[in-house]
Amino acid sequence: MLRFISRRLGMGALILLISSFLMYLLVNVSIRPMEDLEQSTARNKEQLIADRIEQLDLNTNVVIRYFKWLGNFFTGDFGVAWRSSQSVNDQLGSAMISTLQLVSAAAVLAIFLGVAVGIISALRQYTTFDYLITFLSFLLYSLPAFWVAVLLKRWGALRFNDFLRDPALTALAIAGISAALGIVWMLALGGALKRRLINFVGAGTVTALVLFYLQATNWWTSPKIDPVLIAVLGSGVAVATTLLSTGLRNRRSLGTAFSAVALGLALYVPMQYLLYYVQMNWWIITGLALVALASGAGLGRLWGGPDWRQSARTGAITAFGVAALIFLDQVMSYWGQYLAHPTISNRPIATVGDRTPNLVQSVQEADKFWLGTIDQYTHLLLPTVALMLISFASYTRYARSSMLEVLNQDYIRTARAKGLTERTVIMRHGFRNSLIPLATIVPLDIVALFGGAIITEQVFGRPGMGQMFIKSLHNAEIEPIMAYLMVTALLAVLANIIADLIYAALDPRIRVTA
Amino acid sequence: MKSNRFAAATALVAVGALALAACSGPDRSADPTTTGGTGEETANSSITIAWDAPLNSLNTNSNNGSATQNAIVQFLLDDLFYTYDSETLETIPNPGFGTIEKVSDSPLQVKYTYADGVAWSDGTPVDVADLVLDWAATSGNFNTIDIEEAMDDEGNLVDVGADQVAFNSADPAAQLIEDFPEISEDGKSVTFTYSKEFADWQYTFDGHTVPAHIVGKRALGVEDPAEAKTAVIEAIENKDNASLAKLAQVWNSDFNFTSLPSEPELYLSNGAYILTDYVENQYLTLKANPDYTGDHKAAIENVTIRYIEDSQAQVTALENGEVDYIGPQASADVKVALEALGDQVETHFGVEGTYEHVDLVFENDGPFDPASYDGDEETAKAVRKAFLLSIPRQDIVDNLIIPSNPDAAVRNSQILLPGSADYDQMVAENGSSEYPDTGDVDAAAALLDEAGVETPIDVRLAFNADNPRRVSQFALIQDAAQSAGFNVIDASAPAAEWGTLLATQQDQYDASLFGWQSTSTAVTESDANFRTGAINNFGKYSSDEVDRLLDDLQVEIDPAKQLELQIAVEKELWEDAFGITIFQFPAVQAWKPTLQGVRASTISPTIFNEFWNWSIATA
Repeated sequence: MLRFISRRLGMGALILLISSFLMYLLVNVSIRPMEDLEQSTARNKEQLIADRIEQLDLNTNVVIRYFKWLGNFFTGDFGVAWRSSQSVNDQLGSAMISTLQLVSAAAVLAIFLGVAVGIISALRQYTTFDYLITFLSFLLYSLPAFWVAVLLKRWGALRFNDFLRDPALTALAIAGISAALGIVWMLALGGALKRRLINFVGAGTVTALVLFYLQATNWWTSPKIDPVLIAVLGSGVAVATTLLSTGLRNRRSLGTAFSAVALGLALYVPMQYLLYYVQMNWWIITGLALVALASGAGLGRLWGGPDWRQSARTGAITAFGVAALIFLDQVMSYWGQYLAHPTISNRPIATVGDRTPNLVQSVQEADKFWLGTIDQYTHLLLPTVALMLISFASYTRYARSSMLEVLNQDYIRTARAKGLTERTVIMRHGFRNSLIPLATIVPLDIVALFGGAIITEQVFGRPGMGQMFIKSLHNAEIEPIMAYLMVTALLAVLANIIADLIYAALDPRIRVTA
Repeated sequence: MKSNRFAAATALVAVGALALAACSGPDRSADPTTTGGTGEETANSSITIAWDAPLNSLNTNSNNGSATQNAIVQFLLDDLFYTYDSETLETIPNPGFGTIEKVSDSPLQVKYTYADGVAWSDGTPVDVADLVLDWAATSGNFNTIDIEEAMDDEGNLVDVGADQVAFNSADPAAQLIEDFPEISEDGKSVTFTYSKEFADWQYTFDGHTVPAHIVGKRALGVEDPAEAKTAVIEAIENKDNASLAKLAQVWNSDFNFTSLPSEPELYLSNGAYILTDYVENQYLTLKANPDYTGDHKAAIENVTIRYIEDSQAQVTALENGEVDYIGPQASADVKVALEALGDQVETHFGVEGTYEHVDLVFENDGPFDPASYDGDEETAKAVRKAFLLSIPRQDIVDNLIIPSNPDAAVRNSQILLPGSADYDQMVAENGSSEYPDTGDVDAAAALLDEAGVETPIDVRLAFNADNPRRVSQFALIQDAAQSAGFNVIDASAPAAEWGTLLATQQDQYDASLFGWQSTSTAVTESDANFRTGAINNFGKYSSDEVDRLLDDLQVEIDPAKQLELQIAVEKELWEDAFGITIFQFPAVQAWKPTLQGVRASTISPTIFNEFWNWSIATA
């Protein structure tokens, strides 16, 4: 194992070295640091040109310049972006944080939704739902990123902001949305004609009721999840978690889940005071999330039984869900203030940048965190959706095919034959094994997102890695370009190694040998 | 029983929840910010402007800091001795800041006087120390080492010894001032003496300086502003290299930053606005300077500059209300997108400082070189004229520029910007009328016929192959010139090699198609394009008459005579068929209709020009 890792790391380092040399040569050919001076009519043009040649060492052979760069690189110095005379290390740091924000949300959502839809699609193989998802995923997969971005800006930002000015859905719109969602649920849940009809009517009615509720309570401009909704949604989370994790027959597990919901509700009002009077930051929020997980697990332990671990798991997930709802409720309570702020003036969804200028500076200390969070969210929303749509499509395909393959295995037939419930067969024997191939794709995909969000970052004006790359290419600054390429290459090499290790850890049939 | 327990549990939860809902959390209605009372005034006097590249230096007089993205911010921060009128590009004096006055023609002496009350935002008065430091730095006359040899590959000045002076700048105009200037008693005015007469004396110093007392404080450790200024002036007057070396280092690098520096002294201003915030790559915030006494008073209290590189993203941000004023790179797509917004925005199409032109090569044994015709100057000239005549300039403008700028027109002057005050007179008198806008293929064919040269003549046209607009232009030129008797050959190079090809490999091409950028209206600016052997004279054009006229122009101080000389130069150029100008690059600005008084200029500071006339209409 150790030999395997060290060998792979050694290979990776060699690949990095060789690729850095090739990249340096290629970048050197493709940039033109003298371009702006060639067209300059400055009176001291001669001196400017001489300066620049000297500054960039352009009279030195590119190979020698590469080794100079490599020397700096080994000492951890990526050099200086000469046009802005800014240290590349600084530039890289802030760019990576921005990209990480964007990519992590997109990746998590895409994996979660993609896998869920892919699995359902596999379970309903060759049904209308399956074909619909197949069609949709290929459609999304083939959409060019810049075009998705433009569409999202038009409908997700401009039109949605217009809608918020007077948020009223017509009866026709409500009927249409309800019918469409009813059909999707009907197709996803499948079954005989009668069941389909019930599902269609049920899902459609629920959707319509929810929309009416949103309309009636003016939810679009003053959204909230009050304790009633937290109770309803929390119960939903409890039932769903129990269903998927242990099955509803496990009473202790179900009890744990519901006591987690009750605990959350009991803490709702105290939490309001805590969140208001304590100056929040992300560390406290993370701490609170961990407390929620721990207390959920603790409840499971209290319910006891031989299988308390399962109850603890269910409790932890449910408690986390309820805590998230309470957090969301708190964020939403600042929405009205956010909308009314003069820098927003009722157009919350942003098309560009990563924050609203002068917003956070102009509000009270206690509100900074919450308004800042909303502001980040409104800026992250569209680029995240743009990235998500595309990787969602591929995850759907992967999840579907690997689930189908697993379901055809002998051990699934054995599991069914020995009388296990369908839930146990699918969730325990099918789903878990179908994740193995996905586990090897995810690291590579995240790295691809990390380096490949160039277009999305450019179009949405986010100061991340991709924009740093494009800007530096445009400015003919070789140092930041090399830094970008080295970071993405390094991540790609690491992701490959990690993928191999995960694969070996998850699948006992695979063994890593040197 | 199962369902009973379930129902009971649900009921319990629901009742509990309702009970809890009756209790309420902390009362936030008392928050002053939730009412938004103070917000509205701010909204009425705020403007957000999009720009494509972020600020990286507030010392625009250094080679490193001289870029448009820095100049526009400095334009809002600092006052100037003069500004440009947006339309005519005539200079407008700004007595509220100071005056420039020529006190003697021979020797040329120019006196700069600061107005009373002009001060940096820390309260220190702006005075001659600032200007003298600027002169010392930009002239390069105080550098003890060659700046080029002192830099490492990252552009840092490293091998500078403790007493080596290396200001990173060299302005040929400031260089002509060799002697230490005469400073008035009150420190408000200073008189510079030029070592020779110089036509563009009024453009040598526009008033942008860095605060000398801060440079003095940081470099020499003198805390008191007045003493720091004295120390700076003394170091310059006595050529104290040990002090000058430290001053140079501070001057070169301390004012470079990409986010708000922790020390406010690094972003002092003396004009309408003060810098309040700068978030890297995101935005920069300016607030009206309460202590400003000059004439260019901020009309809008808060200005935010947002950095958005993508042109389409700028248009969308304007539509979404995230920015109020944009000046994106003009293209047909941007024009369509803006027109789709209808009356949501005001749009203005104009031109920017760069112009497209074709230059011919005179010394490469090619078709335009007399040597190819056994030294027959007249034949070579006829061939050159015929080629220039065959270029379909109006077609190029119609097909490639009108889609971005509906008002675009053919440019007919080698020196003056269209729209500038004397452009019309120049075009009427410079002989460009010999070359109609539409081109004249028949006249071209007739000229070739008359000259008795064998057709078709091969002409290798060099251009940047990675620029689609130039590729289209080449196709149009090739097509039109064919009927005149020219076989235009593609001699383009990819972007990476194009610069070298243009500047050094004249044997590889006979004509070149590219753009020159004007950055000021200084009359000596185009000198290097036409003078024998000059750096921008890629076609190796050589005319004794033009050289003589340019020499005269360099030292001509009277504006009327300057224009006469410029016309005379152009007459020669057009007569010699030096080359031909085609069009001015298109520019576009768009803004919210509530914003009024917007007038963008062709040259820097483009969309920020005349910011003191902006106003926001209350709807």
